[in-house]
Amino acid sequence: MSFFLFAILNTVFVLLISPLFISLIKIVKAFSQGRRGPQLFQTYYTLSKLLRKENVYSTNTSLIMRITPYINIVFILTASLFVPFVFIPPPVVGIGNIILFLYLLICAKFFMALAGLDAGSTFGGMGSSREMNFSAIVEPVVIAALAALALVMKSTNFHEMFASALQSSVFINPATLLIAPSLFIILIVETSRIPVDNPETHLELTMIHETMILEYSGPNLALMETSHAVKQTLLMGILINTLVPWGLTTTPTLTSIPVAIGMFVVKGAALAIVVGVAESLVAKARLFRLPALFMLAFFFSFSTILFELLT
Amino acid sequence: MMNATLIDYLIKILFVFVLGTAALTIARRTLSSLFTIYAIQSWLIAGIALVLFFKERAAILLPIAAVTVISKAFLIPYLLRRIQKSMDIKRDMEFRYLTPISSILVSTALIFLVYGSFSRFLLEMSSDVLFFFGAVIGVSLTLMGMLVIFTRQRMITKIIGYLTMENGVLLFSLFIAELPLIIELLIVIDLIMLIVLSTVLAFGIDSTMEEFHEKLQAFTLWFKE
Repeated sequence: MSFFLFAILNTVFVLLISPLFISLIKIVKAFSQGRRGPQLFQTYYTLSKLLRKENVYSTNTSLIMRITPYINIVFILTASLFVPFVFIPPPVVGIGNIILFLYLLICAKFFMALAGLDAGSTFGGMGSSREMNFSAIVEPVVIAALAALALVMKSTNFHEMFASALQSSVFINPATLLIAPSLFIILIVETSRIPVDNPETHLELTMIHETMILEYSGPNLALMETSHAVKQTLLMGILINTLVPWGLTTTPTLTSIPVAIGMFVVKGAALAIVVGVAESLVAKARLFRLPALFMLAFFFSFSTILFELLT
Repeated sequence: MMNATLIDYLIKILFVFVLGTAALTIARRTLSSLFTIYAIQSWLIAGIALVLFFKERAAILLPIAAVTVISKAFLIPYLLRRIQKSMDIKRDMEFRYLTPISSILVSTALIFLVYGSFSRFLLEMSSDVLFFFGAVIGVSLTLMGMLVIFTRQRMITKIIGYLTMENGVLLFSLFIAELPLIIELLIVIDLIMLIVLSTVLAFGIDSTMEEFHEKLQAFTLWFKE
């Protein structure tokens, strides 16, 4: 029973909060460029506007184009159960496993790349090709980072990891401090942010994520945008819950849930500001320069493993 | 004054940041940020010496921390910045043998190598795991500095590699070796560094190794056998 409550609350919360972080990052970036930027709730307005419009499909497209937005949001929302935001539920078989989490994200990515190819435009094909290329390079890094995290937290289950992070003393574990840069780089890479990809533009030839959803319109576009936003919140949640898990509880009560939600909104907003500032500070890197960034994440993951071996 | 767990915790946190600065030294290309990274690294090592003082109560650690801060956190970065102002380059883009990507991979392997070879005997020698920790990170830092020396082409970045190496030796000496002997060694190394610095200052600060060699050829008259 408690798990169903968790599933409903967590999904609703993550759907509601994700667009806020997207706008917040945009505001920070606009502010650093001397512009006023969008309103805080602009992403909600955009999504609701898109949901009221109709879908337009190219005559060349197949079934893939039509089902991908639904598949995508389902995979991502299932993955959202793996990262608790409201409270840590009692263990349920399979939920919270890090390998399964990665596979869910990869499946969503796979269908998105397929949909990019589906309309037959060269632009979409290029984006899909790039996305798959980068996935192949970044995936070992993600695996290494999560393996390091699992070694530090002595568990391969996100729920248990966060619970043990919560129970460890007031000090942040030095090893989790070492894994944080890796997780941050993964957050940047997986959400297509600036040194890797430019989320702002539809013109630049180097973009990756936007080209794949270029053919979408109306509610389908809203679904794709939402799943992207939710994915970002999930990765932010992993970073926040391992590094500063305070506020999260294992026992749901009427007071603890609002506290957990409030704390997460504050911490998430802080992280979103950090992401926005980081994005403003660096320039878009050349495509062949990017593996250096991934290798930095790799280095930090391996140092974490070493750190654990030493202590 | 400070309890033992807090001291161990602080030292470990500082180790984490030292590793981070070492990785950045290998990956960064902008010279001014390399200098800043070096200054931060020196601050961290001075911090480790200071915290270690509360654990060991060895009075020698305090002057070491002070000397490190004065010379490496202020004086050397200041000199490097002055040198950089007089040069027309801002970034070091030229690499030899290894790109930064592969250097980082190699340095990861090096750290594991050091760990593997040290774990055979050091753990038996000392009961405190922190000393083993310091030795591994110190030697890794030295090797990473070496990696910077041989992958970078510009002289000024090679100096950064050299300074990183020296920081590694200092870190190692803080934890493992007998201090007075190592301090002597450090002074010798510092002297060599001074010579390297001044030579480079005079002849080839903004050139690659090959150009530098050519510039030096003009002085062969002095050293003819």
